Amino acid sequence: MNLKAVYIHIGWFQMSITNLVIILGMLVLFGLALTLPFPGNKKGKGQK
Amino acid sequence: MSDRRAELESASWSGRTRPYDLIKEGVAALVVITIAVVALSTLFGSPDDKQITFKQWAVAAPADFYATSVQELAGSSGTGGYGAPYNTASDGVNLGPLHLAKLMGVTHPVDTVNDFVITPLTTVVNSGPVADALKQWQASDSKTQSTWATNYDNALTKANQDATKVPAGNYGPVPQLATGLLSMAQAGSLDGALLSQGNYFQSDYTKQTLFLGDGSYFNDQSTASNLQGSTWGMMNETGRYPGQAWLWLYSFWYQIPPFNNGDSHPFGANADAWIMVIMGALSLGLIIMPLIPGVRSLPYKIPIHRLVWKNYYQEENL
Repeated sequence: MNLKAVYIHIGWFQMSITNLVIILGMLVLFGLALTLPFPGNKKGKGQK
Repeated sequence: MSDRRAELESASWSGRTRPYDLIKEGVAALVVITIAVVALSTLFGSPDDKQITFKQWAVAAPADFYATSVQELAGSSGTGGYGAPYNTASDGVNLGPLHLAKLMGVTHPVDTVNDFVITPLTTVVNSGPVADALKQWQASDSKTQSTWATNYDNALTKANQDATKVPAGNYGPVPQLATGLLSMAQAGSLDGALLSQGNYFQSDYTKQTLFLGDGSYFNDQSTASNLQGSTWGMMNETGRYPGQAWLWLYSFWYQIPPFNNGDSHPFGANADAWIMVIMGALSLGLIIMPLIPGVRSLPYKIPIHRLVWKNYYQEENL
């Protein structure tokens, strides 16, 4: 991790690979949290 | 409080109930979060780069250190001309007629001549020429001192920081003082001398940081690590460690005109103040979002909440 950082640089956009991975990871987690069923929630549709 | 509200608040719950162990839930959350924090900070925690010392600077870039010492004596360094809170040399950043730093006043006075050069030199036993130079400096008036230092600073700048190419002139003891400070720094004594100018338990590194920041060496290290404002430095760390990605919006403004041009007035030259205002306004907007017509209705048009609570909406056929 102490090695020289690798950066993606396209025009005005510049970001280290590590930061990009973290941000994409957060977006993926958010997507999963929205779509995956909550663990332990065995209630089906229509059950009350 | 209206009668209807009081009635609703005092009514007992008549809907479904289920057992819920709050303590168990809390303990589980605490344990999981603690393990995650320890594991992730061990893996990705902020790097522990060794601090840059004056010895390191003076050995690696002696000409830069020497020239910076002369600038500190002449008052032409970044710190010397900074203004509040260190001195009164300039008005500092402003929002139109509002000079923010100047309003707060000189709360942390820094005298670059004495704090950075003269006082540290008096803490060590100097060689003959340096000791004589120190006596000559201390025996002269401030106007003469300023003339000597400014003359030598200008001559050194013309010679591209090469002291061997500076022509003879009215420089007084300035070259000897700068040489003495360079020797002191190279020997490793300056770090301690600067640190000792304060309380018994020293935790204020302002002077060291300002002195380091006045030279090019420290700045070059920042450039090499992509930590400059122009390279989204606010959200970077050294090495391959992840940085403060959540500060992207704060860093974003520094990348676009007029804020990315420090010479443009009034915005670029006062970017720090204006960006603080923009972020303050945006943060305020976030806080009072429920009160902003149109914005508060966005959930009706972008119903992400229906995804979050999809079970409820399915069960209730909403």
